[in-house]
Amino acid sequence: MDSKHLKSISYFFFFRGDCGPRAAEVTRPGPPLEPFDPPPADPSQPPATEAAAPTPTAAPSNEATALLALSARAPKLELSTLDLCFLATLYLRGQGAGHSAFSEEQLFELFEQAAQIVERDPSAVRKRATHAIARLRAQRLLARVDGAGVMRAGEYALSRLGASIVSFFLEDEVLTTETLTLLARTLESSLRDVLARARTTTDAATLDEAVVGPLKVTVHELMEGIERRQRGLDLQQEQFQKEISALLSADWFGAVESCQTLLESTAGTLRDLNHVLLSESHRLQAQLEDLQELALRHGAEASEEAIRRAADQIDRIAAWSSGRQKSWSDYYQYVHRFLRDVVRLDPSRALTARLRDQISGKGGKRFTLAVATTPAPLLLREVAPAPDRPPVKRPRAERDTAPDETVPVDPYAVIEDSVRQKLDAGAASLRDVTAQVTAELPEDERFRAAGRVAQVVARLARTHSDRERPWLPVDEAFAIEEWTLPRKDSAKAGRG
Amino acid sequence: METSQTFEDLAQVVEHELFVDVDLALRRGRHIDRDDVAWYGFLTDAQAQLERFYRRYGAELVQRTDGFFFLLPSGDKLGRRHLSPSEMLVGQGLTLLYLDPATVEQGGVTTREALLSQLSASMGTEQLMAAFNAAKKKRLDERVAQEMVRSRVSEAIRRLAGLGFVELLPDDRIRLRASLMRFAEPVRGSGADIEALNKLVASGEVALTEGDEGDDSEAEASSPGASVDPRHAPIPQWNEGAEWGSSFDAPPPDPDAPPEDEYRGPDADVPPEDEYRGPDADAESDEEPLS
Repeated sequence: MDSKHLKSISYFFFFRGDCGPRAAEVTRPGPPLEPFDPPPADPSQPPATEAAAPTPTAAPSNEATALLALSARAPKLELSTLDLCFLATLYLRGQGAGHSAFSEEQLFELFEQAAQIVERDPSAVRKRATHAIARLRAQRLLARVDGAGVMRAGEYALSRLGASIVSFFLEDEVLTTETLTLLARTLESSLRDVLARARTTTDAATLDEAVVGPLKVTVHELMEGIERRQRGLDLQQEQFQKEISALLSADWFGAVESCQTLLESTAGTLRDLNHVLLSESHRLQAQLEDLQELALRHGAEASEEAIRRAADQIDRIAAWSSGRQKSWSDYYQYVHRFLRDVVRLDPSRALTARLRDQISGKGGKRFTLAVATTPAPLLLREVAPAPDRPPVKRPRAERDTAPDETVPVDPYAVIEDSVRQKLDAGAASLRDVTAQVTAELPEDERFRAAGRVAQVVARLARTHSDRERPWLPVDEAFAIEEWTLPRKDSAKAGRG
Repeated sequence: METSQTFEDLAQVVEHELFVDVDLALRRGRHIDRDDVAWYGFLTDAQAQLERFYRRYGAELVQRTDGFFFLLPSGDKLGRRHLSPSEMLVGQGLTLLYLDPATVEQGGVTTREALLSQLSASMGTEQLMAAFNAAKKKRLDERVAQEMVRSRVSEAIRRLAGLGFVELLPDDRIRLRASLMRFAEPVRGSGADIEALNKLVASGEVALTEGDEGDDSEAEASSPGASVDPRHAPIPQWNEGAEWGSSFDAPPPDPDAPPEDEYRGPDADVPPEDEYRGPDADAESDEEPLS
């Protein structure tokens, strides 16, 4: 087993969204969990794994359905490093010795080996192995394959899920010139077949049948393979950078050759890959263009969509290649300069030590560097002349003025005079008097004046009212209770 | 833009479209290295003509084998200044990082945190704090002092970036450039440090600051021949009239006398450097006079 890959792996992932309190739960003993199988794909829809733009209407509902189905099953996986290493032991032993299944005794034995390597703790191995096997079975990573039940001890094998997880950690799929060339040629051959079949079609339906399926399955799988290996190469480059740094740290001057070898090998690989990708992507794109023409001629929309996605994927692969080559080229130049200007000129790293002493003040005189400088241009401000301000003066004139004598106006007397005039003029009711008197007043004073008018009228004239005094409007603003005023001559006649 | 041009006379150099930018950058103290592809190519092609050109200004166009150019004025026709102690310290710390294999992993890119860690490891935290708070008369609160160190380091990095020693990248990352090797120049010899340093002092490329330790008064350090720019003179600080009548015969201060422990008000801990000293104070405030 490659322990480098398994060191410090703690693989712990949930398929549930709520990884809070449930994170600590032991896998529930319910029905065994099925590996996630997406619902059967609609041939007219793109596969969910494709990064290229999915059909906007159908993809969310498919996605939601798949998530709901998954959520209903409440699956989760929980693997400790030892569990993972045990699985890896089974995987490697199965591949090496050709075992398709393991007996219970073999399982215990292999678990003990894994525990010895990983934890160096042989205590209570059998008990821990029992728990581990139960855990792995509950999570469908290990399956009993003999079907004998209680009759005899069982035989077990890794499930597809278990094998996939282990292979993810163990297998380094890195893009090399050989794998890329092989994949690209296979891809080209598949596209050629698709194109040949497409040329024999006569209508959109048959064209879709000939193009969509192969593009989605064969071509997509091949390009996924290339992209997966690209990610592997990215990881490898990162590892190279760490390795170069570690080599220099461990053996400063002695590491120059190894660093250069590493740099050259990676640069060469990238150069070759870029070359292969450039030439192959041109050929692949040309075939896709031919297919696109056929699809346009037949009006096969599903084919057009599938072809467009395949073309996007090829573009992405080509862009990855040129991007990586550019960034690696920068890094390559930097490290080469570092090796040449720093490492080779200071083989014993004395410069670093002296500089550190200089900073800490332990050695040498303090110094400072001289640099050229150009003072910023001096910009003079515009000076605005101050405005002439009037001199401050004390007022000479007398501020207080003598009061004028004015005759006070009694508003009640004014109202009374006015009422008297209206009564003399023969007003027949309180409303008439009030309306005439208040009409001369500002609007906001009329209501208050109405009460004063009634008071004066009651004092100056005889009034008559029914048992129920009617409310009559004086103007739009208010109404009063009506009095009738008998005319003076009739009143006199009555009295006479 | 690559240039592979051969210049036969100065007129061709001056007429080149890059001349103005490169000339201005050099006069402002910018170091030009291979990462400045077009400028470096132009300088390499026109080196002979430009060396004669700048010699007439009393300056030398210096090229280092590490792969960078810079202008070194020695007369009084072009301005010159010396890096402040904080710039020097930060520059040396960055140089240590440049020489560190761990930085190679990142392709020569580092961060301010890595720099502070490097300085702290090389000098010790106390010394680092003291170096960046040297002008303090009173003991600062630790948090304030640490904040001041970070702030001064950032400021020094910014200035060094203006001089082409580093390049500021997004996300507070710093690309280290080959010109940082200037900070290691005096200690680069095979043990004969003093001799190498004396040569550099004689050429005017470095100046000794022995005796100025702890004096971070951040004033302009012009060359003796350079004209003094009145705008760069330190502005007197506000003193509430304490120096009223100081022109009268006052007794000279006793250098051995302990510092007066007088009450300076609630803001006494505020460093004098933080006070407002005019619009130009920021630009040139981090330089100190040389002995």
